[in-house]
Amino acid sequence: MIRAGQIVSLLALVFFLSHASRGLAAPKSPQESSKSPTNSQITFNKDIAPILFHHCAACHRPGESAPFPLLSYKDAKSHARQVAAVTQSRFMPPWLLEPGEFKFADELRLSDAQIATIAHWVEQGAMEGAPSDLPPSPKFAEGWQTGTPDLVIKAEKPYLLPASGSDQYWNFIFRTPVSRTRWLKGIEVRPGDKRVVHHANVLVDRMESARAQESSPGAGFGGMEIKIESEAFDPDSHFLFWKPGTAPYTEPDGMALRLDAGTDLVLNIHLQPSGKAEWIQPSLGLYFTDQPATRFPMLLQLENDRKLDIPPGEKNFLVTDEFTLPEGVQLLAIYPHAHYVGKDLQAFVKFPDGTQKSLIHIPAWDLNWQAVFRFEAPVELPAGTVISMRYRYDNSDENIRNPNVPPKRVVGGNRASDEMAHLWLQVLPHSNPGETGDPRRILQEAMARHNVDKNPADFEAHYNLGAMLQGRGDVAGAEKQYAMALSIRPEDATVNNAIAGANLAAGHPDAAITYLQTALRSRPDYFDAHYNLGTALAMLNNFAAAVEEFRAAVRLNSQDANAEANLGAALAELRNWKEARAHLEKALAIDPTLANARDNLEQVKRALPNDPQ
Amino acid sequence: MARAVMAVTLACLFSIYPLLGRQTIIDIHGSADEVLAQSRGKVLVLVFVRTDCPISNRYAPLLQEMNKMYGPQVSFRLVFPDRTESTDKIRHYMQEYRYELSAIRDLNHALVKRTMAKATPEAAVFDAKGQLVYHGRIDNLYEHIGQVRRAATTHELAEAIEAASKGLNPPVSTTEAVGCFISDLE
Repeated sequence: MIRAGQIVSLLALVFFLSHASRGLAAPKSPQESSKSPTNSQITFNKDIAPILFHHCAACHRPGESAPFPLLSYKDAKSHARQVAAVTQSRFMPPWLLEPGEFKFADELRLSDAQIATIAHWVEQGAMEGAPSDLPPSPKFAEGWQTGTPDLVIKAEKPYLLPASGSDQYWNFIFRTPVSRTRWLKGIEVRPGDKRVVHHANVLVDRMESARAQESSPGAGFGGMEIKIESEAFDPDSHFLFWKPGTAPYTEPDGMALRLDAGTDLVLNIHLQPSGKAEWIQPSLGLYFTDQPATRFPMLLQLENDRKLDIPPGEKNFLVTDEFTLPEGVQLLAIYPHAHYVGKDLQAFVKFPDGTQKSLIHIPAWDLNWQAVFRFEAPVELPAGTVISMRYRYDNSDENIRNPNVPPKRVVGGNRASDEMAHLWLQVLPHSNPGETGDPRRILQEAMARHNVDKNPADFEAHYNLGAMLQGRGDVAGAEKQYAMALSIRPEDATVNNAIAGANLAAGHPDAAITYLQTALRSRPDYFDAHYNLGTALAMLNNFAAAVEEFRAAVRLNSQDANAEANLGAALAELRNWKEARAHLEKALAIDPTLANARDNLEQVKRALPNDPQ
Repeated sequence: MARAVMAVTLACLFSIYPLLGRQTIIDIHGSADEVLAQSRGKVLVLVFVRTDCPISNRYAPLLQEMNKMYGPQVSFRLVFPDRTESTDKIRHYMQEYRYELSAIRDLNHALVKRTMAKATPEAAVFDAKGQLVYHGRIDNLYEHIGQVRRAATTHELAEAIEAASKGLNPPVSTTEAVGCFISDLE
């Protein structure tokens, strides 16, 4: 087994939830009145309560994110002008999308008529009206919104949000205590004080790659965007997103998310100081299902961060990307992402017959209200459909959210003062993984090729394409991509390890060793490189050196069955039967299905009684 | 003659609640003049806030800092224009946000009217002679509701206090405050 990872240029990503099934048992949206609302006396009970209960109460109730409740006439009256002003400006309810060709689930947008009704109600004196007109109060579940979780995990250490200052981004790593593979149908995020937590993303970290950023285990770490490494083929599949007023999204049957033992969940949260210091210690509620996944969505990313180089004063800087689908898919959800200079975000699809439709349009981007938007019905995109994004940026002083005063050159990057141009799409391929291969591989490879074409100087693009080609057995193609990556970053540990892996697969352990030595110079605690170096040395029958490398590997990861098994095998070659037996037994304790380890253990046991020592 | 009557009114209209630290909450039922009379000879700063306004809440650390910075030569007062907010609620709120300021409950909106305050937070600055020399926003952190700068770039309240402390007119006498409408409380 050769180890190589994929570098995923992930942003704070992977979300579940989203705003689906928002107001739980809230009443249905009132019908829009066709007659002019000025004709009659507008009252809270008759006209306003239905709007507030349906569109506002999910957040405007005690314990939720909004600063005051809107559940009664008294509540509404004491904020009447405020409600009129913020609905008029469409600051509230927060819904960034222009109405477009496709409908989204749980749309929070008020109609023009509803906004006019609120304005007229205030002008007429904000009257209460007849008690008999008042609809029943909306009902909300107490505590966990999706019922008692199967497992609750709490952040090990709280984070202290200061009383004042600009927005903060913090990451909590949850070490999931599952001992076998489970299937997750939902994650409910309890972020802590909802008045300061603006939104949160959960990222699945299958390789514990984020832990290196913690100063001590459980401490968490700062940062707006984080990077997660993943196995060569295990594409991200689900959006795990939380924003205020949203009930958790439960995945449909057959679309559960795999959670293996040793997987970390990283919660990336956006916090806004409120005027007083707050301790934030979130919890996650996990909901399992016995049904393994039978349908496999994946996340596609359009992006063009390298084109982000926005001069100060520029008001309308355009960044685009477009990708042609090699396979037919259903588009389930969409997540546009930019930072503070983002202005107008739009995405389109062009069908093979030439017709074009707008997928999503955010004319006044506001990072604070970013969200995953789920389509009300899946959007069918046949093979050959071109998906494109057109993002515009305002780096002038007219953009009051501009992080630089006066404006400065802004480039792509992970910090809040950098910019991003990302469009994530959750798609479900028309065909399932089967005899003709996994459609996600085809999508991922096409995406990787697209990235290489787009940015020939992009190290990660070459590396990722190489990993994909290697994954499907195209070793020569992989080596070519790795060589390109290596020409950009000659000392990079990951690519040196990967190119060594390709050499091992091609039966060239000698060549592999040189690359692995470079990898370990750059990153001495690189488990995969020690493992692969041990394998290369063993292939050359240098078992004494191989044992040292496997020992280093198991010191770095004591739970890897293959490393233990190979250490045992190499020790057996050196006739160190006793130690060989201990490591082979350990390998089998971790993974009882390892056939080689079982065979080797049998041989070692047979050798042991004859051992003169 | 008129002054003597005022002194009497002062005694019966103001009830002073003893509090932890340096908080005092005063109810004002009648005219604004009593509050002004108390600070005669000093610069008086009134800042209108309400406990459930996230925009005024966010200013708590800055207001505290300004109060400390200008020291005893400037009287700094929080004004709560919401008649329904009880003294207990305000006391609890001020402890939560660690305010060490004196507060006034403006029960009849006498101070709201005198300063033409429209929103929370909104500041009013009176000079040592009791003249209203500035009213409006604290700074430009908020452009509109929901449109927030990373940090304020103009500081109108601080400039007004500094000018008034020197007996000068502030560079700007009026600005529009962004926040929660006081008129909702009428």
